[in-house]
Amino acid sequence: MTRCSPVRGFGLAALLLSGFAVNAAEWAGDLTPIGTQDWNAARAAHLLERAGFGGTPEEIALYAAMTPQAAVRRLVYHKTIPNDLPAFDDSGAHDPGLEPFPPSRPAATDLAKKTGESLGVKVKPAGNRRLQPVADRFFYWLRASRLETHRLAYWWANRMLVTRRPLEEKMALFWHGHFATNEEKVRDYRKMLKQLELFQDKGTGSFRELLISVAQDPAMLAFLDAAVNVKGAPNENFAREIMELFTMGVGNYTETDIREAARAFTGWNFVDLNFVISPDKHDSMVKTVLGRSGNFDGVAVIDVILAHPVTAEYIAGKIYRHFVREDISPELRKALGAKLRDANYQIAPLLETIFLSREFYSPASIGTRIKPPVELVVSTYRKMGLKEIPGVPDFNEVTEMLGQILFYPPTVAGWAHGRSWITPGLLLARGNFVYDTVFPDINFLPPDRYPGNDYQIAAVSEKLAMGLDVTTATKPDAKEMTSISMQMADRDEDFNTRLASYRGWQMAIQKVKPIPRATAQLDLAGMVRAAGCRNAQQAVDVLLARFVSVPVEAGTRARIGKFLESELGTGDLSAAGTFLEEPLRSTLHLILSLPEYQLG
Amino acid sequence: MKPTIHLSTKSWTRRDVLRACLCGAGAGALNGMPLVFSRALAADATASNRILVVLELSGGNDGLNTLVPHGDDAYYRHRPRIGIRPDKLRRIDERFGFNPGMAGFEGLYKDGRMAVVHGCGYAQPSFSHFTSMAYWHTGAPNSGEETGWVGRLADAIDTQATPNFIVNIDEAQSLAVSARNHVPVVFDDPERFGRKGLYQTRPLLDQVSDATHDANPSRRYLLEVAKSARAASQLVRDAWAKYKTPVDYGIVAVDLPKIASLIAAGMPTRLYYTSYRHNAFDTHVQQPDLHQRLLTYVSDAVAGFMKDLQRIGRADDVVMLVFSEFGRRVPENTSLGTDHGTANHMYLIGKPVKGGHYGTPPKLDALDEGDNLVFTTDFRRVYASVIDGWLGYGDTRKLLSGNFQTFPIFG
Repeated sequence: MTRCSPVRGFGLAALLLSGFAVNAAEWAGDLTPIGTQDWNAARAAHLLERAGFGGTPEEIALYAAMTPQAAVRRLVYHKTIPNDLPAFDDSGAHDPGLEPFPPSRPAATDLAKKTGESLGVKVKPAGNRRLQPVADRFFYWLRASRLETHRLAYWWANRMLVTRRPLEEKMALFWHGHFATNEEKVRDYRKMLKQLELFQDKGTGSFRELLISVAQDPAMLAFLDAAVNVKGAPNENFAREIMELFTMGVGNYTETDIREAARAFTGWNFVDLNFVISPDKHDSMVKTVLGRSGNFDGVAVIDVILAHPVTAEYIAGKIYRHFVREDISPELRKALGAKLRDANYQIAPLLETIFLSREFYSPASIGTRIKPPVELVVSTYRKMGLKEIPGVPDFNEVTEMLGQILFYPPTVAGWAHGRSWITPGLLLARGNFVYDTVFPDINFLPPDRYPGNDYQIAAVSEKLAMGLDVTTATKPDAKEMTSISMQMADRDEDFNTRLASYRGWQMAIQKVKPIPRATAQLDLAGMVRAAGCRNAQQAVDVLLARFVSVPVEAGTRARIGKFLESELGTGDLSAAGTFLEEPLRSTLHLILSLPEYQLG
Repeated sequence: MKPTIHLSTKSWTRRDVLRACLCGAGAGALNGMPLVFSRALAADATASNRILVVLELSGGNDGLNTLVPHGDDAYYRHRPRIGIRPDKLRRIDERFGFNPGMAGFEGLYKDGRMAVVHGCGYAQPSFSHFTSMAYWHTGAPNSGEETGWVGRLADAIDTQATPNFIVNIDEAQSLAVSARNHVPVVFDDPERFGRKGLYQTRPLLDQVSDATHDANPSRRYLLEVAKSARAASQLVRDAWAKYKTPVDYGIVAVDLPKIASLIAAGMPTRLYYTSYRHNAFDTHVQQPDLHQRLLTYVSDAVAGFMKDLQRIGRADDVVMLVFSEFGRRVPENTSLGTDHGTANHMYLIGKPVKGGHYGTPPKLDALDEGDNLVFTTDFRRVYASVIDGWLGYGDTRKLLSGNFQTFPIFG
């Protein structure tokens, strides 16, 4: 090891190698708290990696200087730490006329045909395309809500980056995947924000309270079609997902339990941003769920579910698998479940147990977790020392490409974790994210201003500006149109969908504020200089220690060192001081493209 | 212009096109790899040309409103509001007619290039999307099997574990292609399936450590995937860059043009897997318009793909299998939708297929206690038919852990 190091003379990879060799191999499955004598910088780094979004050398040193108990408590009981982060800066794209937003474009225009008005817009009294303003407004809100949701994702990612309570955001992200709702169906960024605030607020509190709040949360109610779950015609979707995905897991209830539970949730609905119960739609008769009978309402059914021992085990097991490792023994699952149930479903004590346990610091748990995309991106930025999520590359484009765009989980089951984050395509994309960060794309076009070719918006825009009539301007330019979908896309003469798509985009970008587009403010030269590095290999070692959680083979380390030396034309950093930055960026791209970098 | 493909919210931007051009320009500079590979392809192609493409419709497609049993009054009794009237259907015979949006499927059926297998399902059906889909993926309901049937098939018919033998186009790898020996090529966007990196960093970027004896299983996995990425990305990107088609695949092409491009380029891939993603077919509420639109997309895309194969000259070599994790409840619900159900049709499509009906349609007036169809055909019989009848691997008993009688679907 070299003398130069990120901060106060320690190198993470080296400590990982030495620090865990002692007796830690026997720690697997052991929930006993780690002793103060076993606490060190490498383990503090592991804690920050898992309970937060990775640590900078300064943060690692801070946590390493505490006792393990104090370090874990600081993360878990975070509400005492002041966190004066700015509130979401709303563009004000919504107005009351949009409520209730119709379920589809045909629903919006049909309503207008029937009543002369829809979405707060009246039908034109006469002339061509009388419903056009209604169709325009429908697309306006689709686009505006989506663009605002992308801004919301930026706001959240910035919190992850700079927060002093990393576990608050980490748990919010966990619950977002657990109670997955997707803006594409919810179609209202305000509901997504409200739900996120719920996760941030209650994410380490009582699971019972969280579950009830989620079951009454407008985003969730919209996502699982609560509106159609009414007396005499219960919709199973909601009850099924509550049991299968939110509390128990398959195999612990019957189809009858689902149908009965669905009855208890009848009449639960939302109006705009508020939860409402319609007494006339609620089935107040006796239901039998999981062997218990009563005049259950939704909260009562939730309590029946929580009383079932499998629920605490399911939740505790899922938290463990998310934060520690994928394989969990049945005994450990039982033990953690009992912990959660005995703590009256309080999440914080469970987290405290997990993060303090020897199990959490055993070799099987360290450096074996594939970082989910959002964690990969945010922790990369943190370790780069950034104070702001860059606008180039676009955070949402990057995370979508890597498979985890915020507010758009793929299904109600959330994101599949572990190895499913890595495919050949996704592995290359992870390296490309780093490339795009250290060498920002000069052809970058902001996706929140430039429409891509959604329904050929750009082409329609150009043709209209050249004076073409709407029919000609909106004709798709496929050479040979044989598919039914292309032919049917524009049959209604009361309005033109492609025109509406274009107008909706135009209206949305006028209303929704742009995302700032600063590139990453990186100073790698300053970073290695501050660490006291004198030669190329030392610089590589500092970067490896700062960024990579698992040991890299000696050959790889040396090859990267040689690469930097050859890029600099010298091994001596002081001779290369005036042109250090770019070679270091290439080097960092190499390091962060290593398969090993995906592990944390 | 290439057909637009957007299953996700993303679509192409001018920037992407610029990127594609840049990648194309850089490709030739890299180690002369394409040449070496194209020779290897030619050798492999003589072994067998037969290709299977699996298309998954995720979310539980409503089979009863896809191929409608208009000859059965019970259908209209169960579905007074969302049942599709006979005069609206694309009738294929006196019993069945396709959903009005499915001109493509109607044409394929009438051309004798589509086998419909009725009543496909399994005993003790799961009503969970994720569980049932896992059963279809593994081909082993209620068993805890960890590999997929396509993955096991690859291991069986290609014991050499030829690189690029399985291609799975998706955001994440499907359980269906999970294998013991093969590492499937998984990517979403062929233009982005390449590593960015400056010239001088290339040798290091392409280097992958040997991980055979690595104690960290996650690291071992990452290194294997890195090797697969290195072997496939250049080929896939080149194939896509070269591919130009006049065929209209419709609005949502379900990744089929990507597969066509790889077939056209002569990839050694024998097994392709793709899906209509994100539980799209989960139509609990306001089903009719939405479902018809989804079916139109699928039907357009499949018909386009078949036409494109003809153009490429590979129509005799490709069979497509279409399935969903379950059908839907027979009676409509009160929200103009349908809930999770059981048995469903499976479709085998392509020139090598002997078109027509196979299996027995389940009775609509003899439902189980949950108002669901009682399955008449174990879905693994269809897998076995393809494995044996099309890909020529006879030991389906071992592969599917059971004796599944095949249908004479192939000539």
